[in-house]
Amino acid sequence: MSETIEAASGLFAETTAGPRLLGSRCATCETPYFPRSEACHNPDCGRSDMRDAEFGPQGTLISIALQNYPPPAPTIAPEPYSPYGVGLVDLPEGLRVIGRLVSDDPAQVTVGGPVELVIASLGHDAEGRDVVSWQWKPL
Amino acid sequence: MNDVAALGFGMHPWGKFPEKRLNDICRVAVEAALGDAGIKWTEVEAVCAASSRFSGGKGWGLNGNDVVEDMGSTGVPVYNMSAGCAAGSNAFNVGVSMIKSGMHDVVLVVGGEKMPKGFIQTSGLDDETDPEYLRQRCVGLPGPGFWALLTRARMEEYGTTEEDLAAVAVKAHKVGTHNENARFRQLFTLEDVLGSNVVSHPLRLYEICPVSDGAAAVVLCSERFARKKTTSPVWVASSAVATARFDDGLPRGLACVPGPDRPHHSEARISVGKALEQAGIGPTELDLVELQDNTVYYELAFPEEWGMCQPGESEKLLHAGETLPTGRMPINPSGGFLCFGEATTAQGLFQICEVGWQLRGESGQRQVPKAKIGMAQSIGLGGNGTAAVLKR
Repeated sequence: MSETIEAASGLFAETTAGPRLLGSRCATCETPYFPRSEACHNPDCGRSDMRDAEFGPQGTLISIALQNYPPPAPTIAPEPYSPYGVGLVDLPEGLRVIGRLVSDDPAQVTVGGPVELVIASLGHDAEGRDVVSWQWKPL
Repeated sequence: MNDVAALGFGMHPWGKFPEKRLNDICRVAVEAALGDAGIKWTEVEAVCAASSRFSGGKGWGLNGNDVVEDMGSTGVPVYNMSAGCAAGSNAFNVGVSMIKSGMHDVVLVVGGEKMPKGFIQTSGLDDETDPEYLRQRCVGLPGPGFWALLTRARMEEYGTTEEDLAAVAVKAHKVGTHNENARFRQLFTLEDVLGSNVVSHPLRLYEICPVSDGAAAVVLCSERFARKKTTSPVWVASSAVATARFDDGLPRGLACVPGPDRPHHSEARISVGKALEQAGIGPTELDLVELQDNTVYYELAFPEEWGMCQPGESEKLLHAGETLPTGRMPINPSGGFLCFGEATTAQGLFQICEVGWQLRGESGQRQVPKAKIGMAQSIGLGGNGTAAVLKR
């Protein structure tokens, strides 16, 4: 069995409540951030007061792009290559997040529907390790 | 404040020129602009350069210094501006400001680029604090995919079809075929475009712009200087620069806040709004617009976002021929990025050159009849936006 690694550290976690994105929220103006942010970037916020926050798992798909050709490194792609979908997802927490779509046939996924956050494999890296990231699963 | 004239325009054609050095193509553009203005190199009092990300012999892209050295070092001040694909018009803005203020009478603005092959890549850094790295590593969404997300959202909202998208490319080549400086001058049918490879659905190869080599230069001068050279110069009515707003709903990294409007390039809307306001005209009063069409989507979305037409109306205007040079709302009579390809730092200046030539009635078969006022608009990495209005 191959080793599993995260595509990047500190961006997502499997919590007791299920998969979540790890970000921040400013306690002053309530602006959410993903990934975590050291400071609030809302120009109308009077005082940056950042707290850790978790986002997900429910969202709404507002657009889709298909990646019809294999992107260069550092992207981890399925092997053999098959086009994957990328979704633009609005979360009820007031955040818009991109992410790969979990779908065998992304061309058939419809915009406007609900999606659920999952942590799933993107493919394997050059060392043969299974690389996982947050992804959106159409419901 | 002094009035500013755009006295000379010069370009090296866009293409791929592996046998030429960047200095060579910049020199062609600069000499053409100086010749067009009827001045000598030694009359240039300052140089504003769009500074390259990709090349330039001295460290990290000091294009202006290379150009000055190549033309002959005269001791003039050089300003190297960096603003991604908006750098050309950013340098233009600085040049305009220096003449307005009275600091200089004659300023050369120049941008030139020799691009690496393939799609524009990320920073190349394996750095988990770089949002662009994280986007490619954790998701895998290169530039065309980002444009595809915007395009699909428009299709859902307005019913834009894949045929509509292809028709933008057909129109671009219909006018670009007449531009001797454009790289892709072939005519396309709707079937040609729809038959080209799908790069990132719903966008196809002929609906996005590739990278090119190219250079463009503009000579700016004060009214006093211009009056010595010509009786009817092209005037710079305005030049504006902006950066993106926090709440425009466009996820430039992994995420953003949705904001009050549909996702849009706020840096474009703000700079265009400022440029129109400073020029004292409304968005429907422009005789032509050169806008940044990295992909067909922008030619549909931008005019609506800037108030040139109603939201959702662009497809109708396109099919009615209104965006052709002979239409009511001419867009990209040069052929745009789709026919030029992208030589990042030079893009903003090829647009300015095109508007200038159009206003002088020198654009031949792609001429917008009786063009008196036109706008050039560009956006660049980092949320940079620029717009300039020229008039005659």
